Amino acid sequence: MIAGILEPTEGSVNFDGLNYKENEIEIKQQIAYLSGNTKLYDTLSSYELLKMCSEIYGVPEEKAEERIQELSKILNLDHFLYNKIANLSTGQTQRVNIARCLVHNPKYYILDEATTGLDIISSQIILDFMKQEKKKEKTILYSTHYMEEAENICDKVIMVHQGIVIQSGTPEEIKKNTKTTNLRDAFFVMIGGALNAE
Amino acid sequence: MQNNVRNILRKELRELFRDKKSLAMMLVIPIFIPLIIIGMSSLFESQMKKDIEEYHKIGMAYDMTEEEKSIAKELNIEVVEGSEEELKEKYEKEEINLYVTKNLNHYTINTNGSENSNYAKQLVETYFNSYKQFLQQKTLQAQNMNPSDILEIITVEEKIEEEENFFVNYVKNYGFLFIIMAITVSATYPSTDTTAGEKERGTLETLLTFPIKSKDIILGKFLGVSISSIITGMISLILCMISLMIAQNLFSIYEGINIMYEPLTICFAVIVIVAYAFFVSGLCIAIASTSKTFKEAQSALTPITFISFFPGMVAFMINLTTTPVLSIVPFLNYTMIFMDITAGKIDFLNITLMLLSTILYMSLVLKFIIKQYRSENVLFSNK
Repeated sequence: MIAGILEPTEGSVNFDGLNYKENEIEIKQQIAYLSGNTKLYDTLSSYELLKMCSEIYGVPEEKAEERIQELSKILNLDHFLYNKIANLSTGQTQRVNIARCLVHNPKYYILDEATTGLDIISSQIILDFMKQEKKKEKTILYSTHYMEEAENICDKVIMVHQGIVIQSGTPEEIKKNTKTTNLRDAFFVMIGGALNAE
Repeated sequence: MQNNVRNILRKELRELFRDKKSLAMMLVIPIFIPLIIIGMSSLFESQMKKDIEEYHKIGMAYDMTEEEKSIAKELNIEVVEGSEEELKEKYEKEEINLYVTKNLNHYTINTNGSENSNYAKQLVETYFNSYKQFLQQKTLQAQNMNPSDILEIITVEEKIEEEENFFVNYVKNYGFLFIIMAITVSATYPSTDTTAGEKERGTLETLLTFPIKSKDIILGKFLGVSISSIITGMISLILCMISLMIAQNLFSIYEGINIMYEPLTICFAVIVIVAYAFFVSGLCIAIASTSKTFKEAQSALTPITFISFFPGMVAFMINLTTTPVLSIVPFLNYTMIFMDITAGKIDFLNITLMLLSTILYMSLVLKFIIKQYRSENVLFSNK
């Protein structure tokens, strides 16, 4: 819903004082959304996909070309940039997926379980990418089941269990509040043990 | 055209032309049209020749005069002479198609009234009319009278504006009906792929995160599918016209029939093809977008192929005439107006009503799809 895929039946979603209902396009232009479910078009090449995304996000043609070449170097897409996505490995596809998110230089990132099911190298690429973007003072909203990841990269963590927020704060604050040494243990303390996890 | 609609359309067309199955649906189906037209023409031709070759053995249970023999020869009648008993036996064994007996000046045509002896009966009736005329002329001349003064006391001429030929009409209408079916088949695969297919592959979620309004996404997809159907329709129309021209040169059933279409007729045929392509593409996308999986969408769209063809076929079989009311009945209107146009009957009121109803149906269908894409069902109905 906050990625603008679905319309809320009640309430509203606001970004920088802009409401989704009235400013859907303006908000979406500032967002990059990546999840385990956001797949890419197999019949297109990585270059064609990035070009298409640039056009959709309204990046001027000269700038788009420059940006694609730049991203290609950063994410090491050079040797498969013109290959069809169908022929790429999972890791390569995920790198193209990240490049797709970066092409318009967004202000906000919404990453929904972006590393789920990925091999260790591909998931590390995503984590590194998040760290880099954090340094550029971009806002990243990251949902994960891996507590180690959250502890490693997040400034603020919101723990949700059965649709209810059970704890929020910096990883340090949460650990302090629950008197634990890591977020995984903190979570189980909050829900009263593993048996209550379901 | 808005930039985003153009972007989506470009993406759709790129996917369409790179997908072998979509290409096959778009280009292979029209190839069946020449096969149907040439095949049906050949079948009807052989049927006609069969009538002439197989139903011309006539038994004559009396001695024929030289004049009678000459007329029979002219009409290509194969005369079998013999006694009444012999001929009756031959007729029962189906060695002859009928036999004629004579009592003074009274002739009797003996048949069992079956469908098979109908052609032979018509042939014998023609034979007796000619022979009667010969005898009348001979009698009048013997009395020093001018036969034409009596026999042609009045003359009746049948003037046919445009020769109607059952076989040719049959072939033409089935050819054009197949164009409608080809357009439908061509619309079903890409509309399934662009909706349920995208959902199944997970690319729909990606697409919905782009800064594009739902209506632009739908419009881009709708135009993509429509273009595919229009291409199929145009190829089919061209192949249909070429096949009819080839058939005219190959088969005698086309003698005296004008197969060459006027530019105006072709223009209107193109208008019907475009209108139908838009209508059926919108309908197919609407149905497929409610389906959870690619397979489910394909199953849901299968009846559309039959619905597109069947009403038009029935209308042709019962000789239904296009009326303003029928011009707004979905599916039936396109096939009936298409058949009218290709038969040279251009009714502007009916065509206008068909176009207006298409715009109305398309708007309703597009509104439904846009609503569908704004609901969470579009992504999560299969979860």
